Amino acid sequence: MALLTPSRRPAAVSKEPVPPALPQRRRGTGARKQLTAWLFLVPALLVFGLFAWWPIVRSLLISFQKTNLVEPAVWVGLDNFRTLFDDPLLGTAIGNTLFFVVLGLLIGFPAPLILAAIMSTVRRGAGVYRFLVYLPVVIPPVVAILLWKWFYDPGSGLFNNVLGKVGLGPYSWLESSDSAMLSLVLEATWAGMGGAVLIYLAAMVGIPGELYEAAEVDGAGIWRRIWHVMLPQLRSVIGLLLLVQLINTVQVFTEPYIFTGGGPENSTLTVLLLIFRYAFQDGEYGQAAALSFLMVLTLALLSAVYLRATRSWSTS
Amino acid sequence: MPRNSRCAAILGCMALTATLAGCSSLTPSSAGGDGDLVLRVQGMPPATDKPGVALFKKQVADFEKANPGIKVKGSTTVFDPLTFSAKLSGGNVEDVIKVPLTEPQRLIQQKQVQPITGQLKEWKHFKEFNPQVLQPLTDSAGDVYGVPQNPYAQGLVYNRELFEKAGLDPDKPPTTWAEVRTAAKKISDSTGNAGFVHESKDNQGGWQLAMLSYAFGGELEKEQGGTYTATLTGEPTKKALRLLSDMRWKDDSLGKTLLNNQNDVIKQFAAGQVGMFMGSPGTYRLAKMQFGMENTDAFGAAPMPQSGGDATLTGGDIYMVPKSADKKHAAAAVEWLTFAYAKPQYSTDIAAEQAKALSADPKSAVGVPTLPVFDKKRQTEIDAAIKPYVNVKPQNFKPYIEGLSTLKLKPEPPYQAQKLYTALDPVVQAVLTKRDADIDALLASAEKDVNAKLAADQK
Repeated sequence: MALLTPSRRPAAVSKEPVPPALPQRRRGTGARKQLTAWLFLVPALLVFGLFAWWPIVRSLLISFQKTNLVEPAVWVGLDNFRTLFDDPLLGTAIGNTLFFVVLGLLIGFPAPLILAAIMSTVRRGAGVYRFLVYLPVVIPPVVAILLWKWFYDPGSGLFNNVLGKVGLGPYSWLESSDSAMLSLVLEATWAGMGGAVLIYLAAMVGIPGELYEAAEVDGAGIWRRIWHVMLPQLRSVIGLLLLVQLINTVQVFTEPYIFTGGGPENSTLTVLLLIFRYAFQDGEYGQAAALSFLMVLTLALLSAVYLRATRSWSTS
Repeated sequence: MPRNSRCAAILGCMALTATLAGCSSLTPSSAGGDGDLVLRVQGMPPATDKPGVALFKKQVADFEKANPGIKVKGSTTVFDPLTFSAKLSGGNVEDVIKVPLTEPQRLIQQKQVQPITGQLKEWKHFKEFNPQVLQPLTDSAGDVYGVPQNPYAQGLVYNRELFEKAGLDPDKPPTTWAEVRTAAKKISDSTGNAGFVHESKDNQGGWQLAMLSYAFGGELEKEQGGTYTATLTGEPTKKALRLLSDMRWKDDSLGKTLLNNQNDVIKQFAAGQVGMFMGSPGTYRLAKMQFGMENTDAFGAAPMPQSGGDATLTGGDIYMVPKSADKKHAAAAVEWLTFAYAKPQYSTDIAAEQAKALSADPKSAVGVPTLPVFDKKRQTEIDAAIKPYVNVKPQNFKPYIEGLSTLKLKPEPPYQAQKLYTALDPVVQAVLTKRDADIDALLASAEKDVNAKLAADQK
């Protein structure tokens, strides 16, 4: 990035001695550049300010107010937070969200890595496999979920039909509080792993072939080559995708909203779905804003961990 | 270069200013170019409903002729609880909104709509409104907030074809819940389809349990000294849930898909996969026009079966004036409500004219029974006036019409009904998905949780 800084480029490429500029002129040029820079920044600042920062500040203010968004809001201090912590559904929603995150880590996180490792060994038709793996990413989430809803249908669904042929099932995928969350994770993994697979594949291409060859000469089998060569070489990419996945899964909403509406028995009620219910079913905008604020704090913490981790990896 | 950069930056600012100016044009204009007041109203049918659109346009033209200085701008936007508050806050909601009957009490309690009693009373037939129909649109002080259209009472919708296949008489639908259970099992056993389906998600599980509880003689809320509390643990509600549990786990007559909202159920019904569900005759329109039900002759409607309650829940569309409308727009809005919705439901001539226009489209549904918006005599006259244009099979609705008069019509729980439904959804889901669900404990827990919320709201 530093090479692209305009003030440095002429000095770096020019072989001519640069004549010293008059102090007044340098100041004038600097001020003009500053002004130009600020003018360039104004649109972005205004757009961000109006459509991102102000709503965030407004949301924070609403978390301390009781409002119907029409009449003047009433300041209620920490009441919204108190009501929030009195709601037994908050604990349920946090527990469910963490469960989704953990299942996502156990199922959704290794899946693209394993798939990429297998695909990297394919010699012919690699493009077709890449296309097939990435296809779910370009399908609109609602369409994908409605498709999977049919897969999961306990009566005529694809999964129960196929499993029935080998004498298994029928299973109540979404209809049972024991399996509903797992069903959501399976769909979310299918829908979201295309991007991760491509990133892993790109990173695997960058691993020098000599390392594998050397390991092979030393007698390492396939598993030792994966464990001692591939995984250490992918460490920074794995770490990055791990944290991105954590942040994404904490914010899970679309799957429980469309698949189950939070059921059965609130077993798929997540924090974001609870925020949605507060705001749009109950009209409790203050509580919704308060929980959103707590969610932002949690995500900020995760982001800080992410930044810290990636900084140390990038310098290692 | 710096000059070019500055030019580019200035152009950027100008573009942004233009964008923001464009945004400001999204806010409603209070007056037309020639000084007319522009009244933006929901309720215009979608472009695919050509007879409906033509009828709406004619209404607008007649209204503008009768009310010089007011221009009506129709909107096909439908009420969406997800965006309503944000649009209201931004001043982008129309001056007349159309909402389902599940919403008015919530909107009234959240003070997002305005009372229209004063002006509506000026209409000479105001006193003839059916008080049962106005009750769900009225606040505790007696102020009215809207005009109803096509009000109905919840009943039992059933598939006449599946009844025949199961050896049941489609002209004698079940009248008690014990009979519903028997019929559901027969349908399920003999056709493989769901005999009966109960909704269970998106708050509709709680909503349907409310109507089922009413049929067993239950109440979900009581008021004492101006304070409301939920009464979810009453014996009628427990009986209703025990019935569902038996139908699910002893009879296996509720089908395989158990997490359903209303659209899911009507879609399955339109495809001939459901024997019975609790719904209104108005679901005929959804089944036919939205979900493409081909064999509409199979659609049958009966009054809500009873097991000691002799009562059913009401429903319908309501036209209301949001809080964002200023005095002038609110006055014009009430004028429109009276002209477009109150008068056509009162005048036999207008009702006949509208029915004739709508029946031109074979996809329309003219003659679906409604509750009387005014008194019974007036409704009989209206029914006679539209008779030549009716394109639904009246005999399929006969059990509904004949049985309705014996039932007490009850509104939804008056205070924060949606919170009750949110608490009851998981209870219904537990009963439908867990064989050993402890109904008493589930209801007790739901009642405790929801009462904590209601108490906090009424502080």
